[in-house]
Amino acid sequence: MSLADTAQQIRRRDLRLPLAAILVVVALAAPFIGSRYVTHSLIIALIFMLPAHGLNLLVGYTGLLSLAQAAFFGIGAYAAGLLAVHYGTPFYVNATAAGLLAGACALPLGIPALRLRATSFVMCTLGFVIIGQAIAKNWISVTRGDMGLSAIPKPHFALGPLSFTVSGTTSFYYMALAIGALATLAVWMIVRSPAGRNMIAIRENETLAESLGVPTWRYKLLVFIISAVFAGVGGSLYAHYLTVVSPLTFQMYYSTTMLIIVLGGGAGTISGVVFGSLLFVGLTEALRITPELRMIAYGLCLLVLVFWFKKGFAPVLNRFWDMIGGAK
Amino acid sequence: MTGLPILEISKISKSYGAVKAVNDVSLHVGRGEIAGLIGPNGSGKSTFFDCSTGLQRPDAGTVKLDGQDITGWSLNRIAREGRMLRSFQKTVVFKALDVEENLVIAGQMFTFPSLFSTFGIGRLSKKRISGLRDRARELIKMAGLWDVRHQPAGNLSGGQQKLIQFASMLMPEPKIILLDEPMAGINPKIIERVIETILYANKSLGVSFLVIEHNIDVVTSICQRVVVLDQGKKLVEGLPHDIIADERVREAYLGG
Amino acid sequence: MFSTVIEQIVNGIVTGSVYAIVAVGMTMIFGVLRAINFAHGEYYMLGTFGAWFAVDYLGLSYEASIIVGVLSTIIVAYVVGRLVMQRMVGAPAEAGVLATLGIALVLQNTVILVFGGGYKFFSGGYIEPLSVLGFSLAAQRILILVVCLLVFIGLELMVTYSRMGKSMRAVSQNVECCEVVGIDVPKVVLHTFILGAALAALSGVLTAPVNVSVYGGMGELITFKTLPIIIMGGLGNVRGTFFAAMILGIAESLVATYVGLQFRDTVGFATLILMLMWRPYGLFSTQARF
Ligand SMILES: Nc1ncnc2c1ncn2[C@@H]1O[C@H](COP(=O)(O)OP(=O)(O)O)[C@@H](O)[C@H]1O
Ligand SMILES: [Mg+2]
Repeated sequence: MSLADTAQQIRRRDLRLPLAAILVVVALAAPFIGSRYVTHSLIIALIFMLPAHGLNLLVGYTGLLSLAQAAFFGIGAYAAGLLAVHYGTPFYVNATAAGLLAGACALPLGIPALRLRATSFVMCTLGFVIIGQAIAKNWISVTRGDMGLSAIPKPHFALGPLSFTVSGTTSFYYMALAIGALATLAVWMIVRSPAGRNMIAIRENETLAESLGVPTWRYKLLVFIISAVFAGVGGSLYAHYLTVVSPLTFQMYYSTTMLIIVLGGGAGTISGVVFGSLLFVGLTEALRITPELRMIAYGLCLLVLVFWFKKGFAPVLNRFWDMIGGAK
Repeated sequence: MTGLPILEISKISKSYGAVKAVNDVSLHVGRGEIAGLIGPNGSGKSTFFDCSTGLQRPDAGTVKLDGQDITGWSLNRIAREGRMLRSFQKTVVFKALDVEENLVIAGQMFTFPSLFSTFGIGRLSKKRISGLRDRARELIKMAGLWDVRHQPAGNLSGGQQKLIQFASMLMPEPKIILLDEPMAGINPKIIERVIETILYANKSLGVSFLVIEHNIDVVTSICQRVVVLDQGKKLVEGLPHDIIADERVREAYLGG
Repeated sequence: MFSTVIEQIVNGIVTGSVYAIVAVGMTMIFGVLRAINFAHGEYYMLGTFGAWFAVDYLGLSYEASIIVGVLSTIIVAYVVGRLVMQRMVGAPAEAGVLATLGIALVLQNTVILVFGGGYKFFSGGYIEPLSVLGFSLAAQRILILVVCLLVFIGLELMVTYSRMGKSMRAVSQNVECCEVVGIDVPKVVLHTFILGAALAALSGVLTAPVNVSVYGGMGELITFKTLPIIIMGGLGNVRGTFFAAMILGIAESLVATYVGLQFRDTVGFATLILMLMWRPYGLFSTQARF
């Protein structure tokens, strides 16, 4: 091996690690680099990243197009909000309860829905959002109807004698970042496991997977529940960050946003979802464009994605990653 | 061929609307046997397979595998717990995944004891997967796919895809394999290879077979017994050379 | 008591007619394209806005505004059809869902951006009540019923006798064959789409005098009403869609009176989900196309 080759090899190893390190440092130092508004935008991106991660398991890995994610997001938001308002429970209790309740709701909803074929399944999942909104509006004794929940306390932690409240934007950012990192790790573990391979098999060809002994129905139900848990935890963050929850948490526009994150970032890739949350939620929030313009941009994005970038940004990201890694 | 048959199918019927696709067909496959199933197009062979393997629910009839009644089991349960594997007439592989991955998937559900254990990524899980990978590589070598093992299965020729499908079915150490037209549309060189593999699996691994096949030379060279279907009904059953000579079989093919 | 029930049923039939005219286009588009058009309600909204613009800004009569509303929608539909819908021929189901969701976002928010998000007042139409068979019913509602019947009779005649109609029927029954036989599938798709959008717009213009208020988000509501209808009617099945629309219209009207107005907009999806649990493939055959 000549000296030049060795030098190149060193360069290959050197570039990815520093970049990853820089990204970590930027993520950790973000509140001190950018303005408060940037931090706020990043928090919103992190909140939406959770349901998007769940949706990615469903759409990207198992091949099930679902619009139900906003329903579980809403369930989580209300669960956390109600607990915090009525019982003042610590955040980790609220978040866990939100995730579990969303998952528990996904079981009875998923059993009939997953028996349906493509189009009917999509419609049924859309129905969950619409019915969820109606329940939130009309179950007034619990949800306070159109008024929604307000003055949801800031998240607080109580671990033995130690107790503190996450009050500022900066501290909330670190909490959201930690939860986002945990969620990303969890998705990575699921996808890397043999179950992840089975999910991909179901996406690629359900009948073939079935004929090779994969219990496709149980996997689909389980992934539907897992994705709801992610959405529920995301909803709890949403409730605690905005401190208000209204029936409009259940809206198709949120499901669409999550879908755009997944498909735009790159369905079936983890980095794509992280990138997608930053781009489609964080950036549009930071740009402070009017909601109408943002939705028009989303609409055009969807069209571009469907017809020209079927795989989203993932291939571009991969090429970049390979390039800085020194691959040919 | 000792003792009970490995697969015993009795009086299966299946209608699609007014069409009686399969009409009261019974059939058995002996332990270690290679049985053939032939018949003109549309005679109900594939439907018979679908009803026996849980892909379709038969209107009537029972399926017994290795002495156990498996009627009404789902396709995945029959594969996983019954170790009866099947191929499809229209070849299917996981097109976007490479050859090795195709085989690893085929073995997973037979290596992991439960659905939840497949979510593990610990040492035990890694050991199981690397075991599967070793087995996959062996089978890939045997099927002559070594050079293309890292290519997406969809990029390979129809014949190679059939070999992948076949090798996948050998991953779980099956008791019996049902093949739906394994030789259709592939070149003679690969036909040789498939025959070799079937015979190897039969002799060395003790796998029984039920094979739907149109190529009569293949049928006579590998099958010990042949069943003929015509218009959903069982026409005759017997030794391959008797079947070829049978007047009714000729009529069925010429008439159909 | 009994007469209120009858009255509510009659009201329900009128609402059902409105839905039927919108849904029939949606289901025909599904027939030729195998894709759900999530943007379909937006053409209803565009038609209404076109008519409102004609009456309010141009000072035209209601009759003229019907033409303006429908024509302007046809122009938009032509552009969308050319740029988007024709590309969807042979694309997977997800592509259809996403592309039409995208169109819905663009159309709806462009209108809000241009005309503002607030409610507008629609003046015009035949709102004076007529007395029919002992009922007092606004003339506009009778017009809606009549137009609905004419639309369905017209469609039936069209797919039976006209060349394009026969092609539409053929494509929705078997796309692969049509390509072989030499039917220009993208052209059929474009025509079906424009026809469907125009019907949605017509429905919007006819309903505007009854609903009075006009706003940018109204299309989404109509989409959410018609989606359950076309699934219940058996995707692509025109007659099934007619009956499903009537059932939903009547159910909504009864629920609004006897259960509570706030539950009206949920009836469709609630019925759909219950029905899907009972019969996963719809109440009416999806094989029986138009
Ligand atoms: N899903 C189905 N729906 C309706 N008819 C079917 C279906 N599958 C098979 N058939 C009919 O059943 C009969 C047997 O078909 P098949 O089992 O594919 O025959 P073979 O495999 O022997 O060629 C044929 O007449 C075919 O048209
Ligand atoms: Mg066959």
